[in-house]
Amino acid sequence: MGAQDTAPRRNKWGGEHATPTVKAFHESVRARMADRFAATGKRWEEVVFDHGFGLTRSDYAEVEAELLATGYRFDHSAQISVVENPEKYKAPAEATGPSIDATGDGQITVVGYGDNALPLDNDVEGIVRFVDTVDKVFEMMDTGVPPGTIAVIEDAGGTLTAPILEEFAGMLCKGGTIKSHLGVLSREFRIPCLMAVELGPVVDGDRVRLESTKPPPDTSAEAARTAITDRARIWKIG
Amino acid sequence: MPIDASYAELLEANNLIRRASDINWWLCQYRTVQESALFPVPAYMMLSYLNAYYRYPELVRRIEEVMPAEELGDRARESCTTLMSTPIGWCLHNFYLLGREYLMDLGVVRPTDAIEDALTVLSFWKRFMLAYHRNDAHLTTGDFGNRSQVFPERQLQVFESDAIGCQTGDRLQTALAQFVATAAQYALLAHCESRPGIQNEGPYQVGANQMMVRFFLNLAEGDFPWLDGVASDVPYANLVIPVVLKETRVTMLDDWSMFDCDPPYDPAHVAAVGLYTSDYLCDGFKPVGMGSADELAATFEDLRDVLRSATNELWKVFASFTRDQMLDAGALVYYSLPRDLAHTAGIYNQDDWFTLDERVQEFRPLFNDEYARDALGELLGYLSYAHQQSHEYTMARYSDLPRHMESLIPYSVLVTDEFTTTSGPIRPGSTSLPPKTALWSTTRGKLPIDEVNELARSFRPRSMEVPYRFLDDEWVKTHYRDEAADELYRLAQTGSRTLEGRGAGLLREDLPEPKG
Repeated sequence: MGAQDTAPRRNKWGGEHATPTVKAFHESVRARMADRFAATGKRWEEVVFDHGFGLTRSDYAEVEAELLATGYRFDHSAQISVVENPEKYKAPAEATGPSIDATGDGQITVVGYGDNALPLDNDVEGIVRFVDTVDKVFEMMDTGVPPGTIAVIEDAGGTLTAPILEEFAGMLCKGGTIKSHLGVLSREFRIPCLMAVELGPVVDGDRVRLESTKPPPDTSAEAARTAITDRARIWKIG
Repeated sequence: MPIDASYAELLEANNLIRRASDINWWLCQYRTVQESALFPVPAYMMLSYLNAYYRYPELVRRIEEVMPAEELGDRARESCTTLMSTPIGWCLHNFYLLGREYLMDLGVVRPTDAIEDALTVLSFWKRFMLAYHRNDAHLTTGDFGNRSQVFPERQLQVFESDAIGCQTGDRLQTALAQFVATAAQYALLAHCESRPGIQNEGPYQVGANQMMVRFFLNLAEGDFPWLDGVASDVPYANLVIPVVLKETRVTMLDDWSMFDCDPPYDPAHVAAVGLYTSDYLCDGFKPVGMGSADELAATFEDLRDVLRSATNELWKVFASFTRDQMLDAGALVYYSLPRDLAHTAGIYNQDDWFTLDERVQEFRPLFNDEYARDALGELLGYLSYAHQQSHEYTMARYSDLPRHMESLIPYSVLVTDEFTTTSGPIRPGSTSLPPKTALWSTTRGKLPIDEVNELARSFRPRSMEVPYRFLDDEWVKTHYRDEAADELYRLAQTGSRTLEGRGAGLLREDLPEPKG
């Protein structure tokens, strides 16, 4: 079937990486692998699973270092990542930063929208408290969750707030969908919850009302992204 | 020399790959987004796929030397282990294939590499699944149109008949709802923000109502080192909860074991409930606290208190972990999901399932949060890896795109020597996690692992004995008056509070406490 080709094999039908980090990392790894393979002078099948062939931990560390050397810094998802290696990651965004503009009369103002994970017979009111760090959870474990807390949570997971979640009066989650773990837990615990929340200028201590009477969005394959009119509103009171 | 596999074997393997690829894309697009501010989830998922690629083939071969895939599937159906829709039906072959796809894009392996490994994993997976699902005769939940009916009539009659009725807002219904919420949260935490500890089977028609069987798995001290101590008071590794739902239609149960209802699931719609435990050392399902409604409510309340306390302690353990430890814990939860195969076969080894192979450890520096998120996103969502592209006329199932998540095995391996057979034997592994110290909680008590293995090797459930293993509902249809049929049903009725010894002749209308 022809001479052994030591160059990386291109796909006839293309394939472009969708993200810059993957593009940079994979191109670097592929180039290193091709060099390593060419240096063996053997057929691919003779070396591919040989002990000692292939890249090592230090090679992969260099791949990341190459990108960092350009000044690029990574997004983080787990807090532990940026705590342990702050030099690799972008500074955490301000949790209270608004993502939408407020509209209303100053007394009752729409300050956000979200997808309702738990439809109820009544809307729900409470006091906003941002719960977005391990330290904040520890603090609330020690002092107790203030009654009426509407927790603003960055991630759609159910683990960060696990010890205190049951005590929330409501949850506003900035990520995920109603199928995410936090959405599942909101239904099991019967805690009002809006997911994929876009939130305006709201700070700790603000009183808000959640439109918990809004039907949940259609998450079937055929449904397009939820229209704004189908999303539950968040009002700031006073 | 051509590969030692037939054209037919490759055809079947590629069919399994394409089925997995199609349904995976649909699941990833429409069913959930998994993320966590506590655990580096995408990073641990990528590591788990790599460990699966390098280790599953040999582990599967070792297991099958002791017990065939078909018997493992049969046993999984007749008791409660982690060998269910998600941990095996979705994870076993997909984790291997996703590891393969990722390594192909890095140029570390080619589509023609480790062909016999791939065939081994796929063949094992298919035979296990056919046996596990033999009562509904589908391969997976997705294959059955997002439904799963693994249990035979004899077990379903016990579940329905023994279930204790409850009313809106009464003590039992309230206790159940609170327990399920707490157990779900604990299971998500114990599984490092993944959901395989929460499984469901069904729906089953129960008169005008429907029944789901809910499972909470790996709750007690066992394989997870991080549960040592914090779960010492959790009395059951696995809990099985049949729930009869009124005024509710279960519209979908997916391969990730998430179910949708119309109207949406509401604890107030639970009309009756039961509680059982089981594991790979248990012959069937053992009732727990089912003497009366009050006893069952009290049992749920006690278990809830225990799990709530364990949740708090476990959270503190995880909050003290380094990133490497969180990465290892999550990766090993994911990678080890099929480990009850080894438990059932009696050859479980902690190092096989709770260390990362030295070949996988080499990749660790790549997996910062952003790269892992995007590498996973491209692998599962964008399908932008080179090998995922197909020719321009392609329309994939569900997406219509000229892309597939998981690549086929080229048939050229039948006629050229451009292939390899295996990635080789498992190499030494390591982990940053604290060593496992506690005993294993089983239905036979808290035991050291050597004793657990010994018991498993000598254990043969009655339902697995000849002829019972092969007496299915199709046979019962015309032999329900036979003594063998009665005995088969009496096995399932052992310990039943309503059906003990009643045998095979019952219909739903004969059940002492019909709920439908």
